[in-house]
Parts: sequence; C-alpha cells; structure tokens
Amino acid sequence: MPIFVVALSWLFTERELWAHFSTVLLPNLISATMVLLIGVGLGVTLLGTLLAYLVVMVEFPGRRWLEWALFLPFAIPAYVLAFVYLGVFDYSGYVQVWMREVLGLPGFDIRTGPWAIILTFVLVFYPYVYMMVRASFKRQKINIIEAGQLLGASPLRVFFKISLPMARPAVAAGLLVTLMETLADFGVVSLFNFDTFTTAIYSAWGDFRSIEVAAQLASLLVLVAFFLIFFEKKARGQAKYYSNDVSNKKPYYVLGFVGWLISLFVFCVFMLSFAMPMLQLIIWGWASMGEEWSVKYVDLIISTSVLTTLAALITVSIATILALPSRCKRNSPWLKSLISMATLGYALPGSIMAVGLLYGINQVSAISVYFGGQSINHIIFGSIALLLFAYVSRFMAIGYSSIKASAEQIKPVFTQSARLLGASYLRLIWKIYLPMMMPGVLAGGLLVAVDVMKELPATYLLRPFGWDTLAVQVYELSAEGLFERAAIPALIMVLFGAVLMLIFQLLDQKSSKNL
Amino acid sequence: MNIKTWAPSTLALALTVSSIGIAQAKSEDSVTVYSSRKEHLIKPLFVSFTKDTGIKVMYLTGKSGALIERLKLEGKNTKADMFMTVDAGNLWYAATQGLFQAVQTQTLESNIPSHLRDPKGLWTGLSVRARTIVYSTERVNPTDLSTYENLADSKWAGRLCLRTSKKIYTKSLVASMIYHHSKNRAGDIISGWVNNLAAIPNAKDSHIMNAIVSGQCDVGLVNTYYFARLIAQNPNVPLKLFWANQDTTGVHVNVSGAGVIKYAPNTKGAIKLLEWLSSAKAQAIYASLNKEYPANQNVASDEVVSSWGLFKQDKMNLAQTGILQADAVKLMQIKGYR
Repeated sequence: MPIFVVALSWLFTERELWAHFSTVLLPNLISATMVLLIGVGLGVTLLGTLLAYLVVMVEFPGRRWLEWALFLPFAIPAYVLAFVYLGVFDYSGYVQVWMREVLGLPGFDIRTGPWAIILTFVLVFYPYVYMMVRASFKRQKINIIEAGQLLGASPLRVFFKISLPMARPAVAAGLLVTLMETLADFGVVSLFNFDTFTTAIYSAWGDFRSIEVAAQLASLLVLVAFFLIFFEKKARGQAKYYSNDVSNKKPYYVLGFVGWLISLFVFCVFMLSFAMPMLQLIIWGWASMGEEWSVKYVDLIISTSVLTTLAALITVSIATILALPSRCKRNSPWLKSLISMATLGYALPGSIMAVGLLYGINQVSAISVYFGGQSINHIIFGSIALLLFAYVSRFMAIGYSSIKASAEQIKPVFTQSARLLGASYLRLIWKIYLPMMMPGVLAGGLLVAVDVMKELPATYLLRPFGWDTLAVQVYELSAEGLFERAAIPALIMVLFGAVLMLIFQLLDQKSSKNL
Repeated sequence: MNIKTWAPSTLALALTVSSIGIAQAKSEDSVTVYSSRKEHLIKPLFVSFTKDTGIKVMYLTGKSGALIERLKLEGKNTKADMFMTVDAGNLWYAATQGLFQAVQTQTLESNIPSHLRDPKGLWTGLSVRARTIVYSTERVNPTDLSTYENLADSKWAGRLCLRTSKKIYTKSLVASMIYHHSKNRAGDIISGWVNNLAAIPNAKDSHIMNAIVSGQCDVGLVNTYYFARLIAQNPNVPLKLFWANQDTTGVHVNVSGAGVIKYAPNTKGAIKLLEWLSSAKAQAIYASLNKEYPANQNVASDEVVSSWGLFKQDKMNLAQTGILQADAVKLMQIKGYR
C-alpha cells in the first residue's frame, strides 16, 4: 500500500521544484548514489563470500569460534556503528591524534570521498552475504569438491569453477538485501554528510514541504529496487540445488603460518566490525552511566521486546504463507509479482514509508467520509497496528528470503511421494512443508526481530504514546550530540541483538546436525 | 492455499491489536503534547508541572516535519493539545498549516517579550538560543573576528568548520543573511564559507568543537548551549565564544517554543501548561537544563551562561526564518554547501 500511494503522487507535479532538483541536486546525487552502491556491493560480495568460504571450506586456527562471531555485527545498528567510527577514526578521534602526535603523519577528514562511508556500510552489511553464502556453501556436496581436488584442480580453480557458481543465488540474495538497505539508509549518510538519493527525498519533504515531489523521488527509488530484484532473479537463473547434505568435513586444512594469517584476517574483520565498536560503546556508556541510567529503561526494554516479538511473528507467518505457493503447481504469474511487490518495501526509507502509510489511511478515511462514514484516522494513527504494519511491509523481504531458501531445499521427491500416498494438500503442508521449513522460519524470524529492534524512522513517526523503543532513545540522545549517553541504550540493543544472533547460530548448528 | 484464506485472519489480528492502542484512557485532567524537543529536555518540566497543578502530561517526541504532517492528517480528531518544537521556522510553518489556535493571555504577555511571540498569538517562544562564533584560543586572535559575513573572507581559507546545511540552525542563519542583505550577497557569503571550509560540514555542533580542539580548523559557528555543555565536561578546553555582528545586525538568535493545537481536546489545560512554561519557575529549569537563554526576561541565565556577558541580538522578526527558509536551502544547494 505505501508503494501504491507513492506511485499515485505522479498525478501532481511541481515544475519549478523539479527544475531545481534536476539541475542542481540530482546529477551529483545520482552519481554519488551509484558510487556508493557499487562500492558497497563489491565490498560486501567480496568480504561476505570470502569469509563464508574460509569458515566453511578451510580449517584454520580459531575457525569454530570465529564462524559464529562473524554473525554478531548484524546486531549493531548502522547509525550506531557510524557514530562510533566517526568518534574513533575522524580527525579528532584517538587514532588520528595518535598518528599525528606519535607518527607525525598529517591529519585528514575521513569523510572526504566515499571510501570511509563505503567501508562502514560494508562492515555493517557484510553479515547478510556471509550468512546466506555460508549456508549455501554448507549445502554443497563435499564429494563434488573432492572430485575437483582429485582431478588436480587448485583450490582457486575449485573455488571459481565449483563453489562460487553453486553459491551464486545466495550471493545475489545477500547482495540484493544489502543494496536495498543502503538505498534506504538515512542515518549513516547524514552522520557522514554524504549526499545520496535519500537526501533529495528528505530535502523535498523537509525543506520544500512538498510531500508530492518527495513521493515521486521515492517512487524512483522503488523502481531501482524493482530492477535490482529483477537482476537478482536473473542471477539466480533456473539454478536449483536440492541438497540437504550438510557436511562438517573441511576440504582444506591450513595450519602453519598461512593458517594463522587467515585467522588474523578474519579476526581483524571481527575486531573492526564488532569488538572495537563494542569496546568504545562500553567506555562511553561507563562514563555516562550515572547520568543516563534510570528505571525508564525497563519500559524501553519492554516496549522494544513487545514490538519486536509481534512484528517478527506476523512477518514470519505471512512470509511462510507467501513462500509456500512457490512449491505448488498453481504458480500464477500475478502471485509471483504480488510477492515481489510485498518485498519491495525494504528499499523505501523508513520515514517516507511511514508518511506514505499515513497518507494512504487518510485517503481511505476521505473516501469513507465521502460516503457518509466516519474518519478512521484517529483510530488508526498512533495505534500499534499501524506500526506493526509498517514493520511487516518493511522487513518482509528479510523474512521471505530466508524462509524461501529453506522451502527450496525440500526435494520434489517428498511432495511427489506424499501425493502418491494420497495426502491432502493441507496435510502435505502440515506434515512435510512446515516441519522442513521450520529452521528457515525460525532463522527468518530472528533476523526480522533484530532488524525491527534496530529500526528507527518508522518507529519514531508511528509509535503510539508510551511506546518509545531503545532505538528511539539512541536517536534522541545522539541527535543532541550526546554520544556518550546514547551508548547505553545502544549497548542494551546490541546485547539483545547479539543474544538473538546466538540463538540463530545455535538453531543453525542443530539443524545441520539433524539433517 | 491463497490470499483469500489468510487475509481475514490477518485483518482480525491487526484490528485486535489496534484496539489496544485506543484503549488508553483520555481524561480531562491530562494534556497531550507532541514535541520535537527531546525527551530528556522536556520530561523534567512536565514532571514539575504535574507536581504543581495535578494535571498529567502525556507526550510523544518526534521529528518536527513528521509531527506536523501527522497533526495535519489527524485534523479534528487529534489527541494532541500542544505542539512543541525548536526553531521559529518550524513554528512558523506549523502556524501557516493552520495547526495552532490563537492564545493571548495576560500571563503570557507579561512573561514573554512580544518579539518572541507570534503577533497573532499562534505560538510562544519559550527559550532563546544564540548561534555565534567559537574559536581556538591557541590559533586565533579575537581581534581578527567580527561578523558571520567576515568568515567568508579568504583569510579564513582552510580554517573554518560549519554545520551541515541540512540542519535547521544553518538554514535559519542563512535566511537571516538573505533578509539583511540580498539573495545575491547571501550567495556570495555562502560561496566564501564553502571555499574556506577545512572539512566537510559537520553533522553536529559537538563535532565542530572537537575539530577545532584537535586542530582541524580554527573557527566555527555553534549554538551556545553546546559550548556550555562542553566546558561543563572539560573546563580547560582551549575554545572561546565570540559575539558576532555586534557593530552590525547582532547575534543570530532563535527560539524553541510551543503553540496550542487548534482542535485540542483540552484547550484549557494546554493554555495552563503554556502559561506555566513561561513562568519564572519553568524558565529557570529551561535555563539550567539546556543552558539556553530564558525567554522570560525576569529570569536569570545559568551561571556559566551569564559569565559570557551580554550581547546585542539580531532583532529580525523570527517569522522571516520560516518565510525565507526554502530560498536559503536552494541557495546553499546551488552553492554546494553540503
């Protein structure tokens, strides 16, 4: 629905503002956005795939421990990582002060050029690719790789000729999610003062008070997302790999010096993306504990948990239902496009989507009033249902892709034999699909939960009275430049997120043992 | 399995959950405030108000633009009695959107000077913030400093730090440049600033001060309460404030303020809260909590703030910041001020 409202805005145009936007802002913003997307895309693909390959295919010192540690950065909201990095690495941060005073190097503005912001996005979003590609590598039959080895192929050749092509759908799926997140981001880009397409949307709305132009720009964003999804489908191709055979046997053992080098590399990624930011948050949080900590955190934690749980449950239920028909014969094209539409919300900046929702409801109200009914605005606005609706539309893509991946692993032979034995369709779903999809459903639910917990813009606009979340608290303090105090709600949030990621990891291990 | 079977159940769930939202009691002795001022700055005020009057305050914080949209859409059915925000540009915009009702009472008129109130009484300024020059005491001779306009001079090349043009404080300051000079002259000043920047404009005032302390730049523009907060943490910081434009237009000031919502369910309560916020007691809380200048002239500033001395304020009517805001933003975007 928000997308529909956004598309409708094209009926009203404001020429003068468009002229200003298209000559002054858009040329630069579009190229900057492209640079960002390409940089982040390449970065997460390389880093995510490499890390996944290393932990699955290679045995090196500390591998078991690092394999799950690499999930943890997913628990840190992008805007929190951004303000920590700015605090640590910018001109006035410790690192540069040390470099200037001890090494005598000249200082520099890390926000010049796109590299620092690209690196931030890569470190915060690589877990998407890592997660999906790792699962795909794990399902690759070890005997294919061993066959490659026996035929004398070098590890590199095996990687490029066997492992990577088979993991291609997973890489594409992870990349898609990352790019949509990057497009929708507003927090990180505003902290780095890096102008992207989203900046133009906010400027149209905030500065020129034109919700129409903002919606028109947002619809272009959705169009880009649509193309991304299209290319992801292409990349996926007809490739379907039915395999449940998860082997924990590693094809390559690298101990010695090279093994330690690999450990060091993986450890550095973990340090940079999780351990170091956490340490900084702890230092800041410790310093402001007395000033910031109070009983209100009990409320914040309760409302965050309630919203997170409800949103995850609803999203996962709908996503499961959406993922089911892909296995049945009645695969109509319009149902497929409906599903694509349902996952598009991920590319919309949260507050644009939220305002789109408010406008949509207002239209419905207007129609109802026109026919002599009552306005429903006051019932819907500020109700928890609206906020949940926003979460569900925004994070459907995450839940759906995880659940669909598990649905696709169900070998057709199960369905066929069940059908032969005369099982009804419902029974088939209940006895075969759902149990087999369960790991994917749980994993999807956990990922959605972590994302909902981190969500800020839609929460900030749509939440009912008294439903402040931890993310809202982080924003309110950091908006005033009180980063030390913002560290406390941020830490609690990361802690919860980390626990969810650990459960995710445990489920993952269990399911790979059971199969 | 198709859409038909699950749609009704989802709808039912959504409706059940939504009823939780409206079940919250709406009583006569409570006032509901939408605020873009952050929770930690308003809560102590409301707690004190409830203690004095027995009237409860419910509040919802949010971004100014988003709250205004929400109020517009809620229209007559809104639960909000008062909208509280920072920057006269935002108050002005909310007023032009017909969100406020005129409130003119003797208490308000005697507590708050007229240039800090909307002429029709649609909104009332409750605290005053000044945006002025901050400089490094190690690398800048204060006699070199004079005006905002002067920071566009090439002698500051590579020495200036500014806040992002996306922040309303910058927009209002530039609006005042357009007001006092002309669009052309203001454009030249912005170009000069941009050429003098030592770094990409910062996201926060606190980043600007950190940058000056660490030597990235020598001068910058900040709201004074950020400086107050910094010296509270570190009294020996090698920074000082300089009152800009004392021989010309005066220091650029702005307000945070509030207005009573046109369709407020509890207008009486909202007016009572507004009057209370203008009282000496509330104004003292404003002054000490965020180190802003009280709008009520009978209330003294916080001790630290008073120590910076008195200064001449820009007397431009604050509605101008709203009227000229779109022009200011366009100009900055054209001149490449990020």
